[in-house]
Amino acid sequence: MISRTNYTEQETPHFEILSDNQKERIFNGMMRTLQYTGANVHHEGARELFKKAGCKVDGLRVYFPPEVILNALSTVPVVTEVFPWDGDESKKITIEKKRSYFGPGPTPPNFIDPETLERRKYLRRDASLVARVCDALPNMGYVQSLGSISDVTNGLADVYEFADMLRNTTTPIMSWSFTREGCRDIHRMGVAMAGGEEAFRARPNYVFYGEPISPLVSDFHAIDKCIYCAENRIPQVYSPCAIGGGTVPASHAGQLVVALSESMVGVIASQLISPGTCVIIGGVQSILDMRFSVYSYGAPELSLLSAALTEMVHHCGLPMYSTAGCTDTKKMDMQSAMEASLSINAAMMSGANFVHDCGYTESGLTGDIFQTVMDDEIIGMARVVERGVEVSDETLGLDVIHNVGPGGHYLYEDHTMTHFRNHYMPTLMDRNSYESWKEEGSKTMKDRIIEKTRDLIENYEGPRAKVPEKVDAEIEKILQEAEERQKNQK
Amino acid sequence: MKINQMINRSTKFRVLSEDQIERIYFAALEVLERTGGMIYHDEALELFRDSHAVVKGNHVRVPPYMVEEALNFYPRKITLKGRNKQRSLHIQKNTVAYGTGSDLPFTYDRETGERRRTVYQDVNNAARLVDALSNYDFLMSHGIVSDAPNPQTYDRHQFMAMLEKCTKPMVLTSVDGEGLEDLWRMGCLVQGGEEEFRLNPLFVAYIEPISPLKNDRTAVEKLLFAAEKKLPAMYTPCPSSGATAPATIAGMLVQSLAETLMAMVLCHLKSPGTPLIMGGVTTLLDMKKSTYSYGAPELSLASAANTDISKWLNLLMFSTGGCTDAKIMDEQAAAEQMMSLFYAHLSGANLVHDVGYIDHGTNASLESLVLNQEMMGMVKQFGKGINTDKDHLALDLIEKVGPGGEYVTSDHTFDHWKEWFMPQLQDRSDYETWKANGSKTMLDRVKEKTNQLLNEYEPQPLDEKLEGELREVIRHADERHA
Repeated sequence: MISRTNYTEQETPHFEILSDNQKERIFNGMMRTLQYTGANVHHEGARELFKKAGCKVDGLRVYFPPEVILNALSTVPVVTEVFPWDGDESKKITIEKKRSYFGPGPTPPNFIDPETLERRKYLRRDASLVARVCDALPNMGYVQSLGSISDVTNGLADVYEFADMLRNTTTPIMSWSFTREGCRDIHRMGVAMAGGEEAFRARPNYVFYGEPISPLVSDFHAIDKCIYCAENRIPQVYSPCAIGGGTVPASHAGQLVVALSESMVGVIASQLISPGTCVIIGGVQSILDMRFSVYSYGAPELSLLSAALTEMVHHCGLPMYSTAGCTDTKKMDMQSAMEASLSINAAMMSGANFVHDCGYTESGLTGDIFQTVMDDEIIGMARVVERGVEVSDETLGLDVIHNVGPGGHYLYEDHTMTHFRNHYMPTLMDRNSYESWKEEGSKTMKDRIIEKTRDLIENYEGPRAKVPEKVDAEIEKILQEAEERQKNQK
Repeated sequence: MKINQMINRSTKFRVLSEDQIERIYFAALEVLERTGGMIYHDEALELFRDSHAVVKGNHVRVPPYMVEEALNFYPRKITLKGRNKQRSLHIQKNTVAYGTGSDLPFTYDRETGERRRTVYQDVNNAARLVDALSNYDFLMSHGIVSDAPNPQTYDRHQFMAMLEKCTKPMVLTSVDGEGLEDLWRMGCLVQGGEEEFRLNPLFVAYIEPISPLKNDRTAVEKLLFAAEKKLPAMYTPCPSSGATAPATIAGMLVQSLAETLMAMVLCHLKSPGTPLIMGGVTTLLDMKKSTYSYGAPELSLASAANTDISKWLNLLMFSTGGCTDAKIMDEQAAAEQMMSLFYAHLSGANLVHDVGYIDHGTNASLESLVLNQEMMGMVKQFGKGINTDKDHLALDLIEKVGPGGEYVTSDHTFDHWKEWFMPQLQDRSDYETWKANGSKTMLDRVKEKTNQLLNEYEPQPLDEKLEGELREVIRHADERHA
């Protein structure tokens, strides 16, 4: 056996948008912006916190000196784990550089009705449906609701959503809330499921999502929730929806500078409160279509900006919350597929940690679980490229090539039997011959997606029955108390 | 200014490390010396016999040094020129050009919607679309001219159908050596003589071996003709992993490279310096359905890896993208075509063909060509990367606008939003506008655009005298084969 020396493998593909010098420029741009332009923070307590840390505060405006930023970046965790509540290790999330998980997104007002396929308001029952379907999909690594519940007490959509989703999927959830109170309700449920405060800290079972407002504004609730999550060691996202040409510059580099800067406010706050707590930044990065004044979810710029921001965020030592699998279409068609295919493959190559919005249609205004199911297949295909090409004596196959010889075939070789199992087996992509396809009813991919989704909705039960009774009761109690609180506030 | 700045002007992507590429290359050399290949052509066998190769019957084995010597003589640049020497295409490292595929036997009839044999008019229409659509850089026939008087001469008619409606450079398939010679003759007429053609080649000859490791008579005829005339050519294996190549991607690449290198040695023996391009459709056989998959993610991955190998070998690369297994234009078609376009572009393959293929490369769709125009535009936009100069960083503007401000009304926005991709077919209107405009799907818009182009776009016509001369070549061929 010949031994090999000085041999380096590209174990998985290399992809890069920004050079080191370019990253440096954008990073320096962020440092300058935070120091000299500053950010508005609509939260007195937070401003006090920043001031104490050495920031200059002038009215709402906070100016962050380099040492405050660099100190925060020095305490963020390198690896954080999030656990499924039933202990299934295969669904564990490891948050570290270049490791990707895909999922849906939060809060569109509308939903595509699974029965009628028409667009309507998002309802409470949709949250558990989304959770259950995602629980069954192999490529959904985490779950968001794809909507904002319209048929519960005003102000409690966030809490009901989490209560229902938690009981219908073991895949870790990314939650959101209106205010700190919702945040607390949600956390109590997470803690109940984990088996206590300490157990949660050791094995957090959800991630919280919050967002600043572009450009460079942290409103009261955003930073208030950020502080709550830091205090309770809840892994959290603090990321804007930056609109190129609207709320941030139309040039991509400028957009990246602003997006990084405003997220950094949350990073600094979280690390000042609780050094080492997990904070994820990134967000939706796209452009304003000037003809229709629509924030585009299908533009190639979304893919490019998201991948570039991923490089920047990883450069800062932070995990990335990215965007893909979404579209500007109103009704599923080829446009949905091509836009999702581009953004998913781009996000996969960038190695973003959480890639959200699988199932967003109508430029983020309508959640569509059918789109999520389509995205699941596209993600599976992108994973094939992510895995790269293995080069070894076994895969080079010189002996099998020799044994088959010129003009032969490989169909019955052991080597073929061993390795063809690694070929990607699609569930929605049709590879029939034309004749068999016709025999099977000349179905389009959309037909197959609808069939598969409805089959999951009807037949996949999810983990609802596995939820411990005690936890179930606790969740109901929390919901009741939230109702009481809302009543009293009125 | 800042000293010592390295800036990415495009995205960067690679699948294999240099060490891995070398290992695949060394493995291919081993295949050539140990396993060898079959050659079914007397002159070629003669050439090998007169060299250091070992020939037994039709079986040829080649020692590594012959390959290494041959590799020194292949050009790293080929410039193609469309008819009238317009629209040049520089094929060189890190440039990506897109084109259709060729010879699809079936077409969905645009009137009846029924699937039928592809005819002259269909190729004519594809040529017209490719001429009109800016993201296509070269034309392959798309369909096969099945209504030619004789299957032995269909390639000349097909070329004519392409030439009539397209002024872009081409990649041509041919029936055999004689067919290629006629195509070359026609090309010389178009470019103004043999010498002019040599400097301004109109097309690349598409030639393929039979995997595994077999070179039939017609393929070798074409290769030797190309070598003799210094006609740009490509030798592109179409291995199906698991059937005609190992089920592993690395193994498929080894075999495919060995097939290419065998042709490289042969052309070198015939006449050093042939402008020969490497390439292929490297994908798998779907074991459940027994179909050759044009939509498999493995096609994207293997093609990108193959492109890495081509760059390391200093060879030009003919790759594959924009194709699908979907039988019709649906979500699958869009998703698969986009994926393979994306990786072909990232990898930097020089010529990306099969754009618009549907149904495993058996069915032609003009609508698919139009859809891919948009997708290529998106992929190219992505590939531009991020400009990080002072103006694009916009730090002063960020300070001026400040927290809570807006950018819609600033001059900077007005200057820069034009850098964004401007969709022609993607719908970005709001729900109400979309509904008011008839709730159209992408397919509706693609059909409209296709009809519009076919009805309105008229490419620069062929010179009448030239057309007569070309038809004369075809007439002679038809007579010979009558």
